[in-house]
Formats: sequence, structure tokens, C-alpha cells
Amino acid sequence: MTESHESNTGAAPLLEARGLSKDYGSTRALDSLDLAIAPGEVYCLLGPNGAGKTTTINLFLGFVAPSAGQALVAGLNVSTHDRESKRRLAYIPEQVMLYRNLSGIENLEYFAALGGQGSLGRERLVEILVEAGLDGEATGRRVSTYSKGMRQKVGIAIAIAKEADALLLDEPTSGLDPTASSEFSALVERLRNRGVAVLMATHDLFRAKDTGTRVGIMRYGRLVTELSTAEIGHADLERVYLEHVSDNGGP
Amino acid sequence: MIHRIVRKEFTDMIRDGRFRWSAILVGSLLLVSLAHGWVQARKASQEHAAAQATAREHWETQGEKNPHSAAHYGVYAFKPRLALSFVDEGVDPFTGTSVWLEAHRQNDFLMRPAQDSTAAQRIGALTAAQVLQHLVPLLIILLTFGAFASERERGTLRQLVATGVGWRELALGKALGASGALALLLVPAAVAGAAALVVANPGPTASPLARGAVLAGAYLAYFVVFLALSLAVSARAKSSRTALVFLLAVWVVNGLVAPRVAVDLSKRVYPTPSAFEFARTVEREMADGVEDIAPPDRDESTQRLLAEYGAERVEDLPINAVGVYLQESEEFSNRIFDRNYGALWDAFRRQGILQEALAAAAPSIAVRTLSMGLAGTDVEQHRHFAEAAETYRRDLMRQMNGDMTENSLTGDFSYAAGAELWESVPPLEYEAPPLGWVLGNRILSLAVLGAWLAGAVLLASTQVRRAEVA
Repeated sequence: MTESHESNTGAAPLLEARGLSKDYGSTRALDSLDLAIAPGEVYCLLGPNGAGKTTTINLFLGFVAPSAGQALVAGLNVSTHDRESKRRLAYIPEQVMLYRNLSGIENLEYFAALGGQGSLGRERLVEILVEAGLDGEATGRRVSTYSKGMRQKVGIAIAIAKEADALLLDEPTSGLDPTASSEFSALVERLRNRGVAVLMATHDLFRAKDTGTRVGIMRYGRLVTELSTAEIGHADLERVYLEHVSDNGGP
Repeated sequence: MIHRIVRKEFTDMIRDGRFRWSAILVGSLLLVSLAHGWVQARKASQEHAAAQATAREHWETQGEKNPHSAAHYGVYAFKPRLALSFVDEGVDPFTGTSVWLEAHRQNDFLMRPAQDSTAAQRIGALTAAQVLQHLVPLLIILLTFGAFASERERGTLRQLVATGVGWRELALGKALGASGALALLLVPAAVAGAAALVVANPGPTASPLARGAVLAGAYLAYFVVFLALSLAVSARAKSSRTALVFLLAVWVVNGLVAPRVAVDLSKRVYPTPSAFEFARTVEREMADGVEDIAPPDRDESTQRLLAEYGAERVEDLPINAVGVYLQESEEFSNRIFDRNYGALWDAFRRQGILQEALAAAAPSIAVRTLSMGLAGTDVEQHRHFAEAAETYRRDLMRQMNGDMTENSLTGDFSYAAGAELWESVPPLEYEAPPLGWVLGNRILSLAVLGAWLAGAVLLASTQVRRAEVA
């Protein structure tokens, strides 16, 4: 078990938080987060609701401004390089929402184009969707006919198409069946192998252990501990998690 | 990148059944109202032409009679329908388009059906102008109220913004996408309108094509105002429902409340008499005269002529003293008419200016005023025709009384003129005012609409930048 805020690969971090804090009125949602995620790392943020996981992701996306500290993407301060930093990121929310009147291909083409990928061509778009796990036959259908799992796969395809340096995942497997969750983990693994830095907020301890390289446990807006998944078993992770999020572990 | 957003918005919209049906409805109403207006205008023009020819024929074939009797026989004058009047019939249904020109009377503003109508009655039937001023903005609202608000609710806005697309590009793309969808119904209507103008073959009078181009520009600006307002509200509203309710309230105030308030307020600030009051006032003043305008005295007139010609008896005069007196009566009536109609026109002008200024509260007032002006159916162009007709009437009376004066003697009741005199009177050749004259009258409306356009775009620009993703 290690406790470090540095990238443990030695490479320059693609996602970095420096004393990152966020207040909503008198409530501190995130408290002095220090974090560095290197290329090829999958960092899983665990914690109960309200721990600050989604706030952290929102700060990296520039959706909210930090009260203190900095969020950096590939060394770019999100607050001062909003668009440039977003160009280096891909984001998959808990529920990927798409345009119901457009097909999977059309949705992917649109988001990819906005992400700066230009015109990918229909064949390439279908290829990416299939790579993301979508059935080839479904790619041309309107998204209004898709299940949640299929929409999540389009979300993954959007991330793949963007060829981003870093990937932000906010509860991406919530509500997915085990097969879909497993496919999702495999995809994250592939992206990790391509050198993408991944920050994933999740409640799923099993998925965090299975997919992540490091796990951070948050509570009351603070990162209370960090673990290397290579050095800990599933049972230990659950025990540590419960220790840190139980009431007697509070500040 | 913007073209991608435009294409997506356009595709998304036209695949939306709600848009398809509402666009079909509004587009159909627009085309039907244009077609109906064109048929009505063409029919009215043909009827006017036929009636004008008949009236002329009656004038020329009225037989031999005293010229003053011919002056009482009178002629009808018909206000020509300008080519664009099929788009906006304006005040024509209320002011009328024909006038009987006769001796001693200026008939135009008497017996107008709308003289005592309420402000609500002035709105009239559904015309292309009504569709453009009311239904198209409603369609714009329905298309765009959720541009940001619905995307925020659905969660797609987070994903969109996460791609790195700029707010301004997003707003511009959405605006152009919605414009493309609207163009599906507006472009055919514009083409139909232009074709109607060409088919109508209006000639160079009143520059119809230039008027049509400016009219299209004015409506385009009006639509952009609504588009920008809708995007601004959608960007900042807490929910799409809030955005829709707010925008519908704006639509109601703009299209239904403000125009009526503006009319009623302008009538309150610059009151005008009812048709009955006006007629009574003119009648009274014609009978008694007013300060500085006294009715002619027949004895004085006779004495002056006797002195002028050195005659002792009217029978010795080389001219008909009655003809001179009748013309003096005409001149007296004309001064009474000028005094009363001048005040009435001035009140109408002040009412119009106040209404145009009140467009600062509702752009529909500005575009309505411009629309009527460019269609040639506003109060100013009615006045332009009425004054031309009145000038013609006065010339006609002067010619009739002059002929009687020159060609008969006082007390000679047997004198009768014939077709030669009637044919020597030229028909009324009315030329509608040019575009520059119309725009000169509508400077205030142009300025207010321009201010609305700039303000709405600025508002959209600032509000979209301040939009939140969740």
C-alpha cells in the first residue's frame, strides 16, 4: 500500500490536481486534492455519494471553476486553457446521452467532429462503433431504439474517436449488466495500453480493482488514501474502503 | 466546425415530428394567405380598373348640362393597389380605397367603416403579414426554446461542451440550423411572393421589387430578433419549461398586447374625433365659418366684379358672377377642409410616431409599421392618395366653375356644356410614392427594429457565454 500524490510511472502526468478545492457556499465539496495520473494509468476514485468524485471530474472538465488550486490536463491549466484542455480530454458520464433522432453513426460523427476529428468517413465510424462493442447492424439505427448499454458503447466510441490523451469516466458502468461492464473494462484496458490516462469515478470496488492501476478513496471532499491495485486483493480493498468511509473514519 | 453543428441541428429538427407538423401548418397558412391575398388584390385591381373605366365613361357621356351640375355629378377615384398589398392589406379595409369626388365636399374621410372601430377590430383577418408577424415567431420559439435548456436537461450539453466546442460556435450553429429548418417554409413563400410580384407585372411604379427586398429584409431582421432572444433565454433558463413559458409570455406581449396598447395609448395621447363628430364639425364650420375663414358674401362678390368690370348691373358683366361665387365657395370649403383634415392628419401622424416609438417595447410594432409602409397600405400612403384625389377634385371644380364663368352670363340658366368639356378633363393619374419616400417616413421603425436586432444578438452572445452545463 502506497500513499503518494505523484505519478508512479515517472512520466509527466496527463491529469494533475494541485491543491484543488471547490466550495459551494459554505460547503467544501473538494478539499486540497493533489493527484497526478500518468499516461497508461487508470486511477479509480472511490467513495460514497457526496465524497467529491464528480466534483473532481467537473473541475477537470472546466464545468465549474476551482475555489483554490489548479486542475491541469497535459500541463494545461483548465481555468486558463479551457478549450485546449478539453481537446485533450474525453468524457463518458454515468448515462451517455445522445440525440435520439440521429443514428449511432451520426451521433459519433457529430461528437467526433466537435472534438476536432474532422471527417472520419462512414467506414471508420462504423469501425470505431464496432470496436466499442456496438453491433454493426445497430450503428445505422436511430439512438431512440438503443438500450443504456448501447448508448454507453457509443459514448466509448466517441472517446476512442477523439484520440484523447486522457479519459474521464463518471460512474460509467452504473446500471450496466455484468457482461456489458466486463466489455467496458476491456475497452478501458485497451485505451490504457495506448497510453491514455484514465480517471474513473466509481462505486464499484470490483471494477476499480479489476480495471484500475491505482485507487483513491475519498470522503467529505478529501482524498483519504491511495492504493496500488497491484498490491492489494479484492477483500483488502473492500476492508480498507469500509474503514475509511465508515462514520468513525470521518474528519 | 460550425457547419457540423448546423447540419446536426437541421437534421435533428426536420426529423422531429413536432417540427414537421408545426412547420407544415405555418407554411401552409403562409402560402394560403399569400395566395388568397394575391387573388383578392388582383380581383380588387381588376374591379377598380373596370369601375374606373365605367366612371370615366359615365363622366364623358353624362350629356349636356351646366358645368356646375357636372361638378355635382362628380367622379369616382380609386386608390391603385400596389403590387405588395397582397402581403399586407394594412389600413385599406378600414380607410377604403375609393372616393367620390364632387362639388363642395371632401368625401374621403366621411363614412369610413373603421372610423369608430376598436383597436382590436383593426387587427383584421389572417393575412401573410399576420402569419409572418405572429405565427413564424411562435414557430421560432417552439423550435429553439430547448436549444440549450433541453440539452442541459437531457445531459447532452455536458458531453457537447466536454468536446471543447465553444459556446459562441454552438449558439451560432444552433441559430443557423434553426434558420435552415425555417428556410424550408420561408424560402418557398418568398419565391411564391416574388413570382406573384413578377406575374402581377406592376411596372416601375412605386419600385415593387425594391420594396419587396426591403420588406423581406425587415422580416428577416424580425425573425433574427426572436431567434436570438429564444437562444438567450434557453441558455439561461433553469429548465426548458421555464424557457418556454417565458418566451410564450414575450410572444403574447409582443404580438397581442403591445400593438393594442400602443394604438389605444396613441389615441389617448393624441385623440381624434369620431366620424360623426368630425362630420358635424365640418358641417358647422361650412355653415358659419370660423375665425379668419368667413363664408363668401355673394353681394360683396358681385360688387367687386361690378367694380372690376366697370359695370352697373350683373347682367352687364361679361362673365357669370354665379360661377365666380361658386368658385369662391369652393375656395372657402377648401380652407375649412384643409383646417380640419390638416388637424386630423396631424393627429394621425403624431399617433403613428408614438406607436413607432413604442416599438421599443415590442418589435412587432416596428415590423408591422414597416410592412404596411412597404406594402403601400399604411396611413401615410392613404393620405398621399387622398391628397392627390383632393387636388384632382379641386382642379376639376375649378375647371367646371371656370367654364361656367367664362362661357355664360349671370342669370343665363340655359348654358350647357357637352362632351368636349368633359373629355378635356384628364383622368386622375395617381403615382404612388417611391421607396425613398416610404423609408423616410419609417426611419423610426427602421431604427427601432435595428436596435432590437443589435440588442437581441448582443443579449444572446452574452447570455450564451454565461450558460451553465448543468
